[in-house]
Amino acid sequence: MAAKSVLNESRQIERAVALIQLGARLQVLESETDLSYERLLRLYKEVAGRSPSKGQLPFSTDWFLTWQPNIHASLFLNTYEYLTKATALEDIDAIMKAFKLYTEQIAACDVEPLLSITRAWRLIKFVDNQMLSMTKCSRCGGHFVTDPYENSRHFECGLCVPPARAGKSTGTGGILLH
Amino acid sequence: MTNEQILTEIREANLTYLMLAQNLIRADRVEALFRLGMSEEAADLIASLSPAQISKIASGNMLLCKFRVDDDIVWNLLTNHNVRKVDNDATTKLHASILMAGRFAEAA
Repeated sequence: MAAKSVLNESRQIERAVALIQLGARLQVLESETDLSYERLLRLYKEVAGRSPSKGQLPFSTDWFLTWQPNIHASLFLNTYEYLTKATALEDIDAIMKAFKLYTEQIAACDVEPLLSITRAWRLIKFVDNQMLSMTKCSRCGGHFVTDPYENSRHFECGLCVPPARAGKSTGTGGILLH
Repeated sequence: MTNEQILTEIREANLTYLMLAQNLIRADRVEALFRLGMSEEAADLIASLSPAQISKIASGNMLLCKFRVDDDIVWNLLTNHNVRKVDNDATTKLHASILMAGRFAEAA
């Protein structure tokens, strides 16, 4: 075991604080830092001013494949892949940067962000474990989040060929077709 | 526009571009790579330029920043030129963002 380094610990705390500010759940912090559960809990209360949400994280890949979330997830994942390819970066730092860029782009399009930092982190874990992957749309050539066994020859993304009931929601901040 | 005016305007655009790029790279290198769409090597080079070097590079008869949208699909989405199934501004912009982020991921 490596000797305890104060410098390393301070980096970990800094990272944890940044994640809490982005709204990450405690499970994300536990997985991405070496800090103990008790310290993370104290840190969370101090930074967020409240106790962290309890309960399990959403664990299903289905959410990422429904129409609107899929578009959000695809934008995030493309940005993330860009960052990891363009420069050597630790995964969690790339997730945080990509998330920031994603929220920026979504805001520029006047759409409510659907992806939370916890969901974004989950997405990367799913992709790492080959439970989800990206497939190139045969029409526009964009890369979209799909099941890993999607047939790329016939795949059409949700923006080129929106499903029948897509974009009909009356709620504000959603993705609309017209 | 006289020839002299053209050269002055190119020089100004180059100066603005290089200074913005340098600021972005110095503020947050990783984000800047995404925003500027350039390689790490190019970014390091620009970050290391001195003001004198910048003003020297900026004067010339060529623009230093290149057009980033180089295919029809993205261009049509950004301008809403082709009326397609989806013609909501925000949504086509979102689609273009996804394509652009993906394109550069391929290039990098």
